[in-house]
Amino acid sequence: MRFDLDMPAWKWPFYVARHPFEGFEDLRWKKAYNTKVSMVIVLCFFIITVCQQVMTGFLFNTSYVKVFNIVPLLVQTIILFFTWVIGNWSLCTLFDGEGSVKAICSVSAYALVPYLITQVVVIIASNVLLTGEAAFIVFFQYLGILWSVVLMISGIKTVHQYSIPKTLLAMVFTVAAMVIILFLLVLLLSLFQQVYIFGFSIYTELMYRFSL
Amino acid sequence: MILVPTMKKIAASAVSAIMAVSMLCSSAFADQPYEGYNYDWWGDPVPSQTGYVVDRVVTGLDFGVGKRYNSEAQLKEISEQTGKEVPAEEVIEEFKEPQDLFIDRQTNSLYIVDSGNNRILVTDVEYKNQFIIMDYFYNPETKKYETLKNPHGIFVRHDNNSLNENESTMIYIADYDNNRVIGCYADGTIFQTFTRPSDEFYGAEVTFQPNKVVVDVAGNVYVNILSITDGAVMFAPDGSFSNYFGANRVEQTAQAIANKFWRTILSREAAASFIQAVPMEFNNFDIDDDGFIYTVTQSKSATTDIFKKMNPAGENILINLGYSDYTYGDMASYYYKNQTYGSQITDVDVDENGTIRLLDFGNGRIFEYTDECDLLFIYGGKGNQKGLFTNVTAIEAYNSIVYVLDSRKNSITTFKRTEFGDIVHEAMSLYNLGKYEEASGPWQEVLTRDSNYWFAYIGLGNAELSQGNYSEAMNYFYRNSRAGYNRAFKQYRMQFVRDNFNVFMIIILVVIIALIVLSKLRKHFKKKKAGGTK
Repeated sequence: MRFDLDMPAWKWPFYVARHPFEGFEDLRWKKAYNTKVSMVIVLCFFIITVCQQVMTGFLFNTSYVKVFNIVPLLVQTIILFFTWVIGNWSLCTLFDGEGSVKAICSVSAYALVPYLITQVVVIIASNVLLTGEAAFIVFFQYLGILWSVVLMISGIKTVHQYSIPKTLLAMVFTVAAMVIILFLLVLLLSLFQQVYIFGFSIYTELMYRFSL
Repeated sequence: MILVPTMKKIAASAVSAIMAVSMLCSSAFADQPYEGYNYDWWGDPVPSQTGYVVDRVVTGLDFGVGKRYNSEAQLKEISEQTGKEVPAEEVIEEFKEPQDLFIDRQTNSLYIVDSGNNRILVTDVEYKNQFIIMDYFYNPETKKYETLKNPHGIFVRHDNNSLNENESTMIYIADYDNNRVIGCYADGTIFQTFTRPSDEFYGAEVTFQPNKVVVDVAGNVYVNILSITDGAVMFAPDGSFSNYFGANRVEQTAQAIANKFWRTILSREAAASFIQAVPMEFNNFDIDDDGFIYTVTQSKSATTDIFKKMNPAGENILINLGYSDYTYGDMASYYYKNQTYGSQITDVDVDENGTIRLLDFGNGRIFEYTDECDLLFIYGGKGNQKGLFTNVTAIEAYNSIVYVLDSRKNSITTFKRTEFGDIVHEAMSLYNLGKYEEASGPWQEVLTRDSNYWFAYIGLGNAELSQGNYSEAMNYFYRNSRAGYNRAFKQYRMQFVRDNFNVFMIIILVVIIALIVLSKLRKHFKKKKAGGTK
């Protein structure tokens, strides 16, 4: 049975999640990539990660929330996502990938949806379950991760029109590209810091010279 | 998210390292040269009330003249044998690198192994009696008087069935450089000598330099030798070598795992060339009244089997039921002014109440635990002031007074318990008896004095739990004890479901009815729609 594909943009992520293989084909066919929806999903990714840190029940919470710091969470979610998108795009354009940044962004974001939904379930369940019932939580976590990984592979494959082995290879190299990008970012940041310190010391030197 | 202890541990140790350094830098404002601290649930050091304060620091110079325990006639014989005058009384002078302490609880006497001076000094626990010097031991077999050479350990045992009062006290001395352990009576008559076993199980190239010695109720003698990694050398009461006792496990380093991997794939000959993974030898041990033997391993880097409580079969019974073993000493080592500071547990004492005290050579600290390995207090430190140490070697405790021996300062420091320490111990002893409700009063008192005292929350949580106040118990256990919280929450959840059973049933019914109605409506509309398009 074919679905009516003229659905509003926010329904697409759920449709894709329910149809891991042909869903992305439909998405590509309909050119239904939507940046706004993707951004909302990425924002949800961030918010849910924060919730996971602070709202997971005490019995299951192993994060060090005595000191809560939002910066690592930002890096783990939003920055990680965009490095993935940029890394994948810059790699796959070189290797005959057809996907645009917008397409990769949408597909990657849509693929996160099952993970996010199971995370919400896990956060709620962790507040009502005992340590002896941890198996449910582990099950849901793995289910979400597995589903999202399948979606991600299928999405990247469809967007670039790759074969499965090529997709997997591209994904591995994307991770490598991400590491390089992050390394360069850190390098750039520290360089800018050096420049700033240099400028600031000249400024203070001049101030001592002329104001006295 | 589930059971990933490593991340938490890494974070905790990083923070604790920072805290420890900042603690070291901050000036002491209390009247003690060290600052009391404790660890919270996260494994972070937090400031705490001190449980023990320095009472006295004594050196050999404080005791004037000591008396030889030998009789007049014996002294004459000794003088004849050695060819020099051996007086009955002698000035004690300073101790020289003393290695061990022992408190005989039956007679309240304190034995000091004054290694550098090759003698044993005996006094009472309050240093009231004149010191007794033991340095010449009569050997009935050779009919000669023998001396010690750098003795390292001592153990005293009483045989209450003995008719002779003299022979009821049996003193075992680990005579390090003479390669033997001697057993003698209170008058110095040697009744047994343990030397290097000629047994073939005893390695051919292994020396026999006894470091410490303990004896169990049955008369088995356990000798700790630093060059043996198989455990303590165990002698049967008749003096024959019977076995090795209680070896440590091999530390799971990357090297050990890699070796194991290669050994499985290589031939036996090739694998033999590999360095064998050998466990750390333990350095010191103690025995409690129930016959459990406690060992400690002094190591800068190893974390495996730092402290063990072994049953007579040699099994460590302090294996945590959870995912990892307990941590002893400081949670993290830290780096400060080109020096790494970390705990190196060098001695253990178990007192008459089962309280365990570990002596940390690295930081000069004493870590006091209950018999369940819950941390009570940390005190002492490195330095030259009273109550700080440079080179600790031995610890003993008696009636809540703690004796620490320093072999570089050549002194014995005694700590006495503060009021806070008394309250904690009172609460803890009630708690360990299972009298949680009686313990809640003292625990409250502990919290009013020191709200950082982690274990008080667990005590109060258990008190509330045993009274059936589950949500209060959960509040106390929250971020203090996962196991306790789990127990309280289980009860709380059961009670909650039971109390609100009607509400749950109504909600479920309403949802079912709503679903049925909705599906009917949907069908109805679909039919209508289909009819309309026709």
